[in-house]
Amino acid sequence: MSGLATKVPGVAAPPQDQQARHRSAITPLGFGVPAAVVLVAMAIYPLVVLFQMSVSDVGPSNIVGGWSFVGLDNFAGALGDPETWYALWRTLGVCAVLLTSNLVLGFICASVLAEPGRGSGAVLGLMVFIWALPPLVSGSVWKFLLDDSGALNSVLGVVGVGPVPWLSSPAAALWTVAGVVAWSALPFSTLILRGAMLAVPKEVLEAAAIDGAGFWTTRVRIVLPLLRPTMWILAILTVIYAFKSFDFVYVLTEGGPGSSTNTLPVLSYYTAFTQFDMSTGATVAVLSMVVVAVCAVPYVRRINAEAPQ
Amino acid sequence: MITAPQRALFAVVKVVLGLAYAVPLAWILVTSFKSTTQVLTDPNGVVFAPTLDTYREVVGEGAAAIVTSAQISVVVTVVVVALGVPAAFAAAARLSGRAARVIAIALAGLLVLQMIPQPMTVIPLFSVLAQWGLLNTLPGLILADVAVMLPFATMLLRPYAQDVPRALYEAAVMDGAGPWRSFRSITVPMMRNGVFTVASVVFINTWGEFVYAINLLPPGVVPPVSGLLAAQNTTYAANWNGLMALAVLTSLPLVVVFAISQKRLISGLSLGAVK
Repeated sequence: MSGLATKVPGVAAPPQDQQARHRSAITPLGFGVPAAVVLVAMAIYPLVVLFQMSVSDVGPSNIVGGWSFVGLDNFAGALGDPETWYALWRTLGVCAVLLTSNLVLGFICASVLAEPGRGSGAVLGLMVFIWALPPLVSGSVWKFLLDDSGALNSVLGVVGVGPVPWLSSPAAALWTVAGVVAWSALPFSTLILRGAMLAVPKEVLEAAAIDGAGFWTTRVRIVLPLLRPTMWILAILTVIYAFKSFDFVYVLTEGGPGSSTNTLPVLSYYTAFTQFDMSTGATVAVLSMVVVAVCAVPYVRRINAEAPQ
Repeated sequence: MITAPQRALFAVVKVVLGLAYAVPLAWILVTSFKSTTQVLTDPNGVVFAPTLDTYREVVGEGAAAIVTSAQISVVVTVVVVALGVPAAFAAAARLSGRAARVIAIALAGLLVLQMIPQPMTVIPLFSVLAQWGLLNTLPGLILADVAVMLPFATMLLRPYAQDVPRALYEAAVMDGAGPWRSFRSITVPMMRNGVFTVASVVFINTWGEFVYAINLLPPGVVPPVSGLLAAQNTTYAANWNGLMALAVLTSLPLVVVFAISQKRLISGLSLGAVK
């Protein structure tokens, strides 16, 4: 791609073209206007409203308007509520599981599936198909499989283990949900890492082989360092994903049992839509976005650094 | 070098992975062919007389939901591509000075928009759509979906727009083509692969989207696929065969999209997603 990106050397523009050039430098931006209009109306304006809600008193009776300004009361309330903090720790727990799975398991799976060999294509195709299925579908089947009298427990029963209360015990539910989320995210990270591995120059790998390096030594000592930029971006995307992850919790536990799987997005959603406390829901959302924004800074920097012109 | 034990290890990893993803898929299919009595008495049995009864029960509901979802997903995909391709063309333009800064800021904005969780944007959207009289309407839901998919689609399309050789544009300018003509006759045809990949991803994501679908549509209207599945999840938690048969039916259109686009999806996503 970078080969194409270099400017084609041409004849110097004659002076009368100067104005045409100037004009053509403005017009491409015009093509972005329709998209910008839609995004300002439907994405940025709602964010402004979200912010407004977090500093107002919004309940079921005044969802549309007529909000009274309450300053930072909602924030004081949310930060003073231990449930908000528990939700943050749970979100970070999910985040840790996802990071391990996406980076470590993803690297191993990508290493294996990047090798041309029997079944690689089929396994990859299957994984990407699962990734394409609606989370409601893949989540529902896990809910069935992980039920107290579900298939997994009945298999474990045969070997004399369990039944394990995967989703019904407050102690296990969060980790079970995190595991299912990790399962659903692994195809994407495998695909990304595999793509990056296939871009590693063959000569580098051949040189390592000539020096007598084994497969995993080459992976860890040579491929891993070359993949560092991709791994970083994947790590940041994973953190963001953990803070967004809602679908599987909704299907598997709806935040329960008790509040044991209430992560930040789940807490914010249920506060707003089942307790109809819109302003507290909005406040939790704003707080959670602050965390995401902290991750966004290195991500935006890296993306902009990766694509110089 | 790859040794024999190495090869065996690869095989083990592939088998484990294959099973981890094939078993849940198979379980959906198996359960959908069980009768309700079968599921109630022996939910985990693998030996049973397959029946189409469950499908007969849910096919009406499922087909109606597929029609609603198809309307939503097709419109969203078309609108996102129609807005995203020109936006990617603009974002890929090599400009200098203030215009370049505008692009950099817009790109950062697109990245940030992708990070905002939907369960959180649905809170203000509820109020914004109500203000505009679009709450509980199909156009309202479609607009909300477009706004979610557009930043991601534009970012994914941008590398394809950047890959269009400069020389073609310069030749077009020589021939007297204006920007609109260049865009239509050069950019759009050259980006065909990217458009195809992005359209598939947008369609797939819109099909599965449910946070907006369950909150922004009126109760009583035929729900889209995700709304129907979400309702099953809360109401008949034990009707596993019905749920799985619905899951199979409502995923059939996705199977078609996936079958057509699989190759380009795999290559397009591995190259474009991280850029």
